Amino acid sequence: MRLRLARTVVRPATLDEAWRAKGEHGDAARFLGGGVDLALLALSDVTTLIDLSGLGLSYIRIQGEHLRLGATTTMTAAIESPLVAAHAQGFLRDVLRKVASPLQRNLATLGGTLARAHPWSDVIPALLVLDAELLLYDGSEKTLTLERFLGERGKSGVPLIAEIHLPGMPEGVRGAFAKFTRTAFDVGMLNVACLGAIEKQKWTGVRIAIGGTPALATRLRAVEEMLEGKPADVDQITSAASAASDAIDVRDDRRASAEYRRTLTRELTARCLLEIAQLPERISP
Amino acid sequence: MKLSLTINGVPRSVTADDAGETLLTILRREGYSGVKKGCGAGDCGACAVLLNGRAVNSCLVLAAKADGAEIITVEGLAMGGRLHPLQEAFLDEGAVQCGYCTPGMLMSAIDLLTRNPDPNEHEIREAISGNLCRCTGYAKQIRAIQIAAKRMRDGGDD
Repeated sequence: MRLRLARTVVRPATLDEAWRAKGEHGDAARFLGGGVDLALLALSDVTTLIDLSGLGLSYIRIQGEHLRLGATTTMTAAIESPLVAAHAQGFLRDVLRKVASPLQRNLATLGGTLARAHPWSDVIPALLVLDAELLLYDGSEKTLTLERFLGERGKSGVPLIAEIHLPGMPEGVRGAFAKFTRTAFDVGMLNVACLGAIEKQKWTGVRIAIGGTPALATRLRAVEEMLEGKPADVDQITSAASAASDAIDVRDDRRASAEYRRTLTRELTARCLLEIAQLPERISP
Repeated sequence: MKLSLTINGVPRSVTADDAGETLLTILRREGYSGVKKGCGAGDCGACAVLLNGRAVNSCLVLAAKADGAEIITVEGLAMGGRLHPLQEAFLDEGAVQCGYCTPGMLMSAIDLLTRNPDPNEHEIREAISGNLCRCTGYAKQIRAIQIAAKRMRDGGDD
């Protein structure tokens, strides 16, 4: 169980060198960030690893309104960063603390998580509600929303992820995340990320993303719009959670049935919205 | 593939079969048998070592990633014939049953105490959440880490 044919390690110093190495070796080459997925997948056809650690992409900084996270930043580095803790009241930090274990988070990189884009990823719904954008390189730099990046995946090769941008959040914006797993360590059967603020007891800027359906996470814009300007009370949350449950595209897989995922969508969406609204109630079954 | 590693403070040149071989396999072949193989898939934490100061699953570290790194295994904890305060505390508290998870558990605890000399119980639980103990001895291990933390704060054994 390993990359038996991986004999060559390329250590580029620039994005362009990394990109050209990928062009040269094609599918037989993989970018090496934390290497967690490469170690687990043990692809038998990979002969070349392109180590990204020399690109200087392990950083977290504020530039203008944006929080910028280099692609090879580990999950632990993000969790421990005061800048991440100060962004959207520490929402991303709190989500990352629920991903895998500290031993894995010390290795796994944010860029690697997005490049691999597992449908059950807990990081992706969180970044979707944070309106993340990616700085990519495919011969030249370009910026794409994470949502578009995920939508276009697989269509024209995988660009190299250089940086994750998180737009600044107005004061009062809070996020909440919930997942349902068989054990604390297992991949979730479904996960929900919500973000928004409450002004004069009314919802504003609500964003909802649901992942592990079992497909890749998507935003539920119809439900987001439905809540905008509505009272932040249990009734509205109950109807929004039901609307999310109706709207979500779910399927059966070995982890859970579609029906079960619908129930989870309703319950977890409600829990997240109640948490943001700081309401202790539960919705009625 | 030739790798330059610093293992427990000693610079070593070791050979990996290929760039995709794991650090776990390499370390065990080099005689560091305190690094245990459990699941081999990043779930159990028995193979944890410090990689450039952070505890990681060595079964998930590719040779290509380890090259040039500083590695500490459980064999590197005792100094001058004296056990590390964490090892002492694990013995004192009976926190070792079959012992298979212990090396990995110690490395996670070192990572924690290096950054947080006075962790609360919740922080300890979170820090060892990637280390599975099938003898279900978590209570004693948590107590041992608390005691070691206190001894290290009070007495400068380390």
